[in-house]
Amino acid sequence: MRQLLLGVIAVALLATPGRADDAELKRLLQHGPWPVSTPRDPSNAASGNAAAIALGHRLFFDARLSANGAVACATCHAPARGWTDGRARALGLADVDRNTPTVLDVALHRWFSWDGRADSLWSQSLKPIVDPREMGASGEHVARIVRADATLACLHAKAFGTPPGLEADRALVQAGKALAAFLETVRSGRTAFDDFRDALARGDAGAAARYPAAAQRGARLFVKSQCNVCHLGPAFTNGEFHDVGVPFALGAGRVDAGRSEGIKRVRADRFNLLGPWSDDRSGTVAVKTRHVEASHASFGQFKTPSLRNLGHTAPYMHDGRYATLRDAVRHYSELDVERIHTHGEQLLRPLKLTPGEIDDLVAFLESLTDPAATRVPAVPPAMGCGP
Amino acid sequence: MEERRGPVRYALSVTLVALLIGAAAVEACELPAGFTPRGRLESAGVTVVFRTLPPAIELGRHFAVEALVCGDGASPVLTRVDAQMPEHRHGMNYRPTLAGQGNGRYLAEGLLFHMPGRWELSFDVEAGERRTRLVTDVVME
Repeated sequence: MRQLLLGVIAVALLATPGRADDAELKRLLQHGPWPVSTPRDPSNAASGNAAAIALGHRLFFDARLSANGAVACATCHAPARGWTDGRARALGLADVDRNTPTVLDVALHRWFSWDGRADSLWSQSLKPIVDPREMGASGEHVARIVRADATLACLHAKAFGTPPGLEADRALVQAGKALAAFLETVRSGRTAFDDFRDALARGDAGAAARYPAAAQRGARLFVKSQCNVCHLGPAFTNGEFHDVGVPFALGAGRVDAGRSEGIKRVRADRFNLLGPWSDDRSGTVAVKTRHVEASHASFGQFKTPSLRNLGHTAPYMHDGRYATLRDAVRHYSELDVERIHTHGEQLLRPLKLTPGEIDDLVAFLESLTDPAATRVPAVPPAMGCGP
Repeated sequence: MEERRGPVRYALSVTLVALLIGAAAVEACELPAGFTPRGRLESAGVTVVFRTLPPAIELGRHFAVEALVCGDGASPVLTRVDAQMPEHRHGMNYRPTLAGQGNGRYLAEGLLFHMPGRWELSFDVEAGERRTRLVTDVVME
């Protein structure tokens, strides 16, 4: 049966020069099906709670949360820009050193931020609020905003069972948990690649053939080049950290240490999963935090981003150095192994792609984009808490 | 440290049947009830019988290893469980914790394989002055 299926699949791939072998086909199928379900976060009792989602939605777009009242979460994570800002490096109240990552499908991540400084979506969500370069506010400020707004206060009470209080850390954590509940709903939909992948899975050669030939060649090149070793699974990421040869010097004698600094921060974070604010009393979700280990190789490593929706999220890399997908693909084609940390990933080698192969890989990557992922979500009902 | 590689290589995405052993082969380790071993490694005088929890390892999912260690002569002690990807020249991004549970039984928690390919799962055992590393391959697909 398996041979029959693979035979059908191979027929579907005849549009590409040469014949995909069984291993390539198997690897392509591992990138689906999509979408995948998002499990509730045991560390966040508000995860999946309708009132928390409604509250989080409102907080996400509310610039009053920032110190100057002018910067909202959505300022940098703008839906129309694929939930990023289109800038090389973020700009909140001041310049930030890194590119704004999209929050599309962020609920599927294991670690958060480019360096994994947060071990939960809720603890990540509260960090920009208090970062002086981003929103520059405080727990006290958040508490005042939520208490003073009748709709927010009402939704807060429905979400958490008690009215919003004055305690700064609690206000911050609850805002983070409401934001996380909302962000769990920010999901991208199906793409041209998903239709192709599912057609292969069910042996529908006709449907598979509708996927552009260049993208088909790019898909095969993607797995043949072992890009899928790090960009694996339906979300096209292994959720971990790698040094891919992007320089980490920030200028003026500063460096971005990436994961090594992220591990220090998450361990020191009073809002991490080992602390009192986690709602997971079993400690199950904190296993990663208990066991994460820094090594020499952690320096200069950054999180493997998902490749979904790249068509919306330029520029690329942790520092936004590449304006186009073609530039990013060229990076891997011309990879300077001397730039990779001496403890770096031995898997990485320059792909030495031809211009046509670069075109094919770009076509494949563009096919991972959900055209509807830039839509602004409707404001959830206020659940009797106001307009 | 002496390194002994187990005779087993298995693809966990399929099953682990290649290494399943009969209870008779590990009688010396006195398997507790319900302990279905996934692999058995032997070096001179030392045997490690282990299972993974959950039984099927998934890429990107934490898992634990429960091991029974037994041997001739000096009581062997399991001192470390770890894993490496030799071709990539890196290990896991997590350091497993190891807890003894008595009677030669150990629980290592916090392992995670984050990439497909060949991993070497290793068990460091001390028996008197002798240190032995027993290694088995785990191929993740």
